[in-house]
Amino acid sequence: MKFVDEFRDAELGRALAGEILSLVEPGRHYKFMEVCGGHTHSIYKYGVDDLLPANVELVHGPGCPVCVIPMGRVDDGIAVAHHDGVIFTCFGDMMRVPGSEGSLLEAKAAGADIRMVYSPLDALRIARDNPEREVVFFAIGFETTAPSTALTLKRARMEGLRNFSVMCSHVTIVPPLRALLESPDLRLDGFIGPGHVSTIVGARPFEFIPADYGKPVAIAGFEPLDILQAIVMILEQLRDGRCEVENEYKRVVPYEGNLKALEVMAEVFELRPHFEWRGLGFISHSGLRLSDDYADFDAERRFSVPGVRVADPKACQCGEVLKGVIKPWECKVFGTGCTPERPIGTCMVSSEGACAAYYNYGRFAREREVV
Amino acid sequence: MTAFSAPAPDTVCGSTHCITCGDDGAPMIVVSLDWAIGLAVCRGEDGDESSVEIALVESVAVGDELLVHAGTAIARLTR
Repeated sequence: MKFVDEFRDAELGRALAGEILSLVEPGRHYKFMEVCGGHTHSIYKYGVDDLLPANVELVHGPGCPVCVIPMGRVDDGIAVAHHDGVIFTCFGDMMRVPGSEGSLLEAKAAGADIRMVYSPLDALRIARDNPEREVVFFAIGFETTAPSTALTLKRARMEGLRNFSVMCSHVTIVPPLRALLESPDLRLDGFIGPGHVSTIVGARPFEFIPADYGKPVAIAGFEPLDILQAIVMILEQLRDGRCEVENEYKRVVPYEGNLKALEVMAEVFELRPHFEWRGLGFISHSGLRLSDDYADFDAERRFSVPGVRVADPKACQCGEVLKGVIKPWECKVFGTGCTPERPIGTCMVSSEGACAAYYNYGRFAREREVV
Repeated sequence: MTAFSAPAPDTVCGSTHCITCGDDGAPMIVVSLDWAIGLAVCRGEDGDESSVEIALVESVAVGDELLVHAGTAIARLTR
């Protein structure tokens, strides 16, 4: 397929790997964070990490929207799902995220009407088809997904659908990055910037990383050659003593982002004063809620939710994985107590989660061509 | 063209990837348009067709390739 096949070419991959090898200084250890869970997934899926020299380390960032949802938030979702007459809708991976007393999937098995959807539009369709029921959409995701929820809410209002509401758990990417950069236990040399978040927000919001923290950024696409090329760009910046935001993913990411998406988000959402992130704690202005103008569609105002903070299970080290302090396989319960079939932590749930990605693609021998 | 080979599907959900939960986008081709309701029918890599919100992309035409995330086209694919 156009735009896909040419970015999976193994010959070009080999050439880029050679370029990376020629750019690294022997004796220096490079630590780059790929911010987005989609990158983590691609890195393991295509074995990109196997093409890198031993002194180039990729650290997996907090950019998996499922992995950052804390247990208390799952409990809130389950509480809403148990209200009489409610059809609770969410994305597939969210169904298996453990709350303090089970997951949404388990709540479904116990009788709650919980349905998996592929988009907020699907949830709206369910609301249209079930006018006698209350349909709630559990909205998760970064700026990539938030416009989709916002457009659906505008559509719901336009159609006068009163039985549709949203439990908004959308988050924004810049505050957790700043929190990570302030973290004393993490030393990073550069960032592979999130491709699809940047499609919406553009490159500008990441300029604080070189400006305030002196680290290079290369915004990258999700194919293996995109990621390798971004690593080349970061290494070239380090070699030249430059420090800026570069855009490897120009075929999709405009510098100024998608202005229509930013407009609709500004209309429908407002920043929460603070939002809890799994493993990172409360981060100021990092989450979105519905604006007062859309308060009628806010499930948290329509239904009572416990809103109780629940500590992560003691054995779970998702927080350290999300911050890139440890690798997935260094977690005490990785692959033993915590597996994709029976996850303890969220990083093992989503296919974008660092633990699940490594478990699925790294733990077992990969049957792929030697590159 | 020699390509990186794709892995086996996930043992749990049968998919190799969750494009809605991840901040991922899928390239899709516009098959038909309904401007009255602001939706397009698009076909993905796997041949499946679905309704896509097109409000965020300028002047969409049949045959265009769009980057779709969670049922919304977030960008047009250009070289």
